[in-house]
Amino acid sequence: MTSVIALARFRVAGYVASHRALQPLLALLALLAVLYATAVPTGQEIAATADSAAMLVPVLAWAARGLLDTEPDEQRSVALSAMGTRELVSGLLAAFASLLVLTAIAEAALLGRLTTAPTTGVLLTGVWLHLLSAAAGLALGALTSRPILRSPAVSTMALIFGYLLMLMLSLTGARWLTVPVMGWMRDAHHGVLLANAPLLTAQSVLWPAIGLAAYTWLRRTRP
Amino acid sequence: MRIASVSFRYGRRDPWVLSDADLVLGPGDVAEVVGPNGTGKSTLLRLAAGLLRPVRGRVEGRPRVVGYAPERFPADQPFTVAAYLRHMAAVRRVTQDTIGHWSERLGMDHLLGRRLPDLSKGSAHKVGLAQALLAEPGLLVLDEPFAGLDAATRAELPRIIGEIGARGGIVVVSDHQGDLRDFPGLRRFEVRDRAVRELEPVERAGEEPLTVLEVAVPASRAAELAGRLRAEGCTVRSTARVAGEAAE
Repeated sequence: MTSVIALARFRVAGYVASHRALQPLLALLALLAVLYATAVPTGQEIAATADSAAMLVPVLAWAARGLLDTEPDEQRSVALSAMGTRELVSGLLAAFASLLVLTAIAEAALLGRLTTAPTTGVLLTGVWLHLLSAAAGLALGALTSRPILRSPAVSTMALIFGYLLMLMLSLTGARWLTVPVMGWMRDAHHGVLLANAPLLTAQSVLWPAIGLAAYTWLRRTRP
Repeated sequence: MRIASVSFRYGRRDPWVLSDADLVLGPGDVAEVVGPNGTGKSTLLRLAAGLLRPVRGRVEGRPRVVGYAPERFPADQPFTVAAYLRHMAAVRRVTQDTIGHWSERLGMDHLLGRRLPDLSKGSAHKVGLAQALLAEPGLLVLDEPFAGLDAATRAELPRIIGEIGARGGIVVVSDHQGDLRDFPGLRRFEVRDRAVRELEPVERAGEEPLTVLEVAVPASRAAELAGRLRAEGCTVRSTARVAGEAAE
């Protein structure tokens, strides 16, 4: 087991043992209760998947930020002394792993509320869109974590406005300027999601990649 | 290892903490960093350990394995001492036996089952020292390591530092209380006015350099002898040893 995975395991263990893991989990369960108050009718499976992925972004960002911020600052210094900058990779890995658990819960809830049994296409679309959602959440959570934004108030605002900006920019139809979360929903409801899949993936991965690159850059001077 | 004309400030609008600081340490060096509070001792230690990047200048030739014990161990973590050290051993890729070795030497075997938040300050401090020592560091950075330690560990720590120096490791310690003052070969550095200055060995003892004598004495007579030597102006540190060791 490499150091990176060992440190990621330590962080996930610390996150789960603290009360912080519960907050986004409860938010997720509340969101799912609203989303699936009624069963998903036949033919609406892909659209419901896209809605779920788009609405999960802020919850996932909150979870990622929570995981990265659970550790006291001095403990992060200890990790940094042990591993150098690989500490950062390990943090992102741990955060992404925790997001996968949350998205799996969301996906399971969705599948449980389908009127007709899901096709392979619906299953794969679910995995694909929720991975895009997790990537967006990871980047937004990392950029609002404590090393980058010291003040909890500023960080919370940045997280919320970051998501709102994502919604508003993608609402205008601009697809390269942000993660096109509204684009996911619109394409899904118009039945063109899968036809646009390669382009949409590129558009959806671009900004999380830039965000994580920015996070890595900023962390050089923000231990 | 060389800290070469390093300048550092925490933010663009903050004042410089260190300016053009230089420090060269060779294998086996044990360095004590002294200076008034808030002059940048911890900052210098963090730069040495690689926790901070110099704004200007460079840190060259830092040993690969770095151990760092912070001034205040972050005890607010949901682990027992044993679980915490197991995780740190895994991160350091050392065997779990190492934990037993260090917890015994630091006198913290009885703490292993306790939860970190329940520890006293001194006990938590030992956990911080233990994690820094786990991986045989080539560079060991200890920020105020003696604060809050019990007498036995206070006596043991200079020995541990000596062993790391003996196998070519570099040890950098910030210390207020002068616990390392009679450590043989200690190099002392003062951080003041944003610069790092090496203090001459004589500055600590007046005119003449000091020599360390090791004297074995029956435990019953130790206090009396120590009193006599102190009366003559010597610094005396007494450490309990087992009979076999003393006879060597």
